[in-house]
Amino acid sequence: MRFLILKIAMFTGLLVLALALFIVQVWNGSYYRTLGDKNRIRLIPMEAPRGRVFDRNHRALATNRPSYDVVATPEDVHRDEYPRLSKLLGLTEAAIKQRMSASREYPFAPAVIEEDVSQEIAFKIEERRPELPGVSIRVSGRRFYPYQQTASHLIGFIGKINSAEYEKLHENQLLYGMNSLVGRMGLEKVYDEKLRGERGGRQIEVNARGNMVRLLSEKTPVPGEDLTMTIDLEFQKKIMDLIQGQHAAVAVLDLDTDELLALASSPSYDPNVFVSPGASKERLAFLKDEASPLVDRGVSSAYPPGSVFKLVTALAGLETGKITPSTTFHCTGLFHLTPNSVPRKCWFARGHGDMNVYEALERSCNVFFYSVGKRLSPDDIAEYARMLGLGEAMRLETSNIAPGLVPDSAWKKKRLKEKWYQGETLSFAIGQGYLLTSPVQILRMTSIIAKDGEIVEPHLIRWPEGEGEAPHEHKRLSIKKANFEIVKQGMFQVVQSDYGTGQLGRVDFGHMAAKTGTAQAPPLNSHAWMTGFFPYEHPKLAFAVFVEHGGSGGIAGARIVKGMLETWRDMYGQKVA
Amino acid sequence: MVRKWLKDTNWSLVVAMTALSIIGIIFIRSASYRDPAEYDVKQMVWASAGLVVFFLVPFVGYRRLLSVSYLLYVISLVLLVWVMVAGHTRLGAQRWIGIGPIIIQPSEFAKIATIMTLANFLGSHHSWEKKNSIILIALVLAFVPQILIMRQPDLGSSLLFVPMVIVLLFLWGIPYRYMIGAAVLGLSAVPILWSILKEYQKKRILVFLNPNLDPLGAGYTALQSKIAVGSGGLFGKGLLHGTQSQLQFVPEHHTDFIFCVLGEEWGYLGAALLLFCYAALFNAIFEVIGQTTDQRAKLLAAGILTVLFSQVMINVGMSIGLLPITGLTLPLISYGGSSFIMTALALGLVLSIHKERSIF
Repeated sequence: MRFLILKIAMFTGLLVLALALFIVQVWNGSYYRTLGDKNRIRLIPMEAPRGRVFDRNHRALATNRPSYDVVATPEDVHRDEYPRLSKLLGLTEAAIKQRMSASREYPFAPAVIEEDVSQEIAFKIEERRPELPGVSIRVSGRRFYPYQQTASHLIGFIGKINSAEYEKLHENQLLYGMNSLVGRMGLEKVYDEKLRGERGGRQIEVNARGNMVRLLSEKTPVPGEDLTMTIDLEFQKKIMDLIQGQHAAVAVLDLDTDELLALASSPSYDPNVFVSPGASKERLAFLKDEASPLVDRGVSSAYPPGSVFKLVTALAGLETGKITPSTTFHCTGLFHLTPNSVPRKCWFARGHGDMNVYEALERSCNVFFYSVGKRLSPDDIAEYARMLGLGEAMRLETSNIAPGLVPDSAWKKKRLKEKWYQGETLSFAIGQGYLLTSPVQILRMTSIIAKDGEIVEPHLIRWPEGEGEAPHEHKRLSIKKANFEIVKQGMFQVVQSDYGTGQLGRVDFGHMAAKTGTAQAPPLNSHAWMTGFFPYEHPKLAFAVFVEHGGSGGIAGARIVKGMLETWRDMYGQKVA
Repeated sequence: MVRKWLKDTNWSLVVAMTALSIIGIIFIRSASYRDPAEYDVKQMVWASAGLVVFFLVPFVGYRRLLSVSYLLYVISLVLLVWVMVAGHTRLGAQRWIGIGPIIIQPSEFAKIATIMTLANFLGSHHSWEKKNSIILIALVLAFVPQILIMRQPDLGSSLLFVPMVIVLLFLWGIPYRYMIGAAVLGLSAVPILWSILKEYQKKRILVFLNPNLDPLGAGYTALQSKIAVGSGGLFGKGLLHGTQSQLQFVPEHHTDFIFCVLGEEWGYLGAALLLFCYAALFNAIFEVIGQTTDQRAKLLAAGILTVLFSQVMINVGMSIGLLPITGLTLPLISYGGSSFIMTALALGLVLSIHKERSIF
């Protein structure tokens, strides 16, 4: 019985299928025949307009401008059109043919012959369409970066997808096509999926000349989302002017919101050359430049921090109880680890005399910190460095974040297969040796100190309500507030005392607290550092300045800090006072 | 000896199978004669190998094979796990494993092994035992390979396990109220199933419901394959003259979409001929079922029948836009060694049942 039911069901199924086939093939056959006859169905992918990127004041950092592209459906192009096209576009016929035979996503999809032509040429071609079957003008959005080199490391740029990426990504055809543009660096890369939107496309029916007869179906593209950055582009631009010609980075953070106000790196590049088809020479120049303008010195590379790191050593010494505010060490200009070892020098050859922790920070006395380092283990210093965010990749909304390096005895054993020597602890204590930090890491460290140990997570993007990461709780480091106060007092003296190493940065509209660093980088000139916060009493800003091979932190660094703060006063001053 | 063999062979089964294989080779040639890979020549090799398997199975005998069905089942699970760990990835799915120069698709083997196991298991228990545990075990036996195949991901093949287990339980004698209950339960589980599907599988279904969602991707394939079949009309455009399929508007036209080539080049008459051949094949299997008294054999043949039938319905249905696009071969027609040989093996089991029909 049940077998009979199955038999009836199956044969009924086959009959239904036969009937359906009859409807498709015989009843509607002629309709599909016309569609199929000359392959009258064309697919026209439509790229979504890419989301724009704005700064905190709605100035556009990345936007789109209309561009005219000459496209052609090779199957529809007749042989005698080549000479005409060649004359109109100023290209050789061979070049046109070569571009037309480039691989395409769909049969009959238009190939791009020339991108971004002038309006004049575009109109000429439109006028002559009757003589040029298959050729047309496509208006598309082309990426444009109005602020050029001002924040190019943050925004990055986009480029054409390569075949390997396409193979990997094209599963989602709405997002990636064979000729799609994808983010290559910076925000363009990190937020590519948000910015790119969804492609659309149309299926159209065309006549024998390739002109549209009817729209069969259409999906309108979904435009990409816009992003708003926390950066103030005008502020950043002025900072870029300050560090022009130097290899330097400046990072400024708003301590009320943890927003980065500026993140500048010099030398820089104009991202527009990466999106302009004609600028291949300039692109090559940037790629080959020995000053590596493509590297973001603020985020993507790490350097020895030098004396700036003494802030960490001081905190470690105080918190572990190895020193107190009244502990003094005597600086003769030389330091002997053991009676027989080679003496290490303080930068001030005559010696600083008796130093407590305040004075030692103020004058950046090496001997004091050697003595603190001698009482600490390298793992103690490393622990505090890591608590303050060094040695690990920071969470920041940009690409290529350098993690830096905080060494300890286990690291050395693993990497160099050697035990840790106590002499290395001394170098570590004054920010030399294996230690590497990026300027934004130093900025974060200073911000945490300015906020008495409250953890700061700098960010670059302002999300609309409910998007992005949930606002973090204001967690604190388990370091006593009193110890932060001691270190901050030392930083105050660095700038405000007449013995301070950072006094050249002093400004006349408020008290600054900072720490300078001059990190040896033989055989070249030292790296200059200065990091701090302002105003001392109620910190609003934290900053880090780094000049690669810039010499003394108290000179090269302080000059930039002062200029930056004066600019800030000019732009925001009314609100501060 | 020869006379006995002639008598033992079910000739309507052989004729239907041969006719389908020849149609298959013709259209594989038409779909790929520009391709240097020579799929048609390779398919002839597969078909010959398949015929050998087909005629050899009766000499082993289905009873002996059923008695090791649990072992085969376990082997197929091992292969499925192996393909997950070390399989070849083609077109984004991990479905193949290489043993020396041979590349096999374990899901094809798992299909047969599961049918045999279910037939053996259900056939050795009577439905009047009324034990729910039997039904439960049968469901689990089908579910495990199904999930593994779905994970590859090969949605098409894994879907075949659904009609397979439903039909087998139905024929075994599951109470009607259970079936109704399961149908209700199944419908209410749709949202859960939906969440298991991969993003692109979801998209295919959505695009099937509304082709305008993705005119560049799956919607394009669906439309082009429909145009290919539809433009064939009553008589077709003639062999090798199908413009749609020849110009690669339809992807995978020597495997999953081979019906497009047939529909376009031989028209409705060709499509009807194909369906007639399948009808003859299914009818022959029904005859074999009617002539045996072995419950396990009946279930085995019915399971094989169900899977073949479902494949035909889904494959042709998707070519004309009746069903969403899932990667499934058209049995005996589509190019593919694993697919052909496993189908031949399955039909060999049917032939063996026919041969042993008089043994009580």
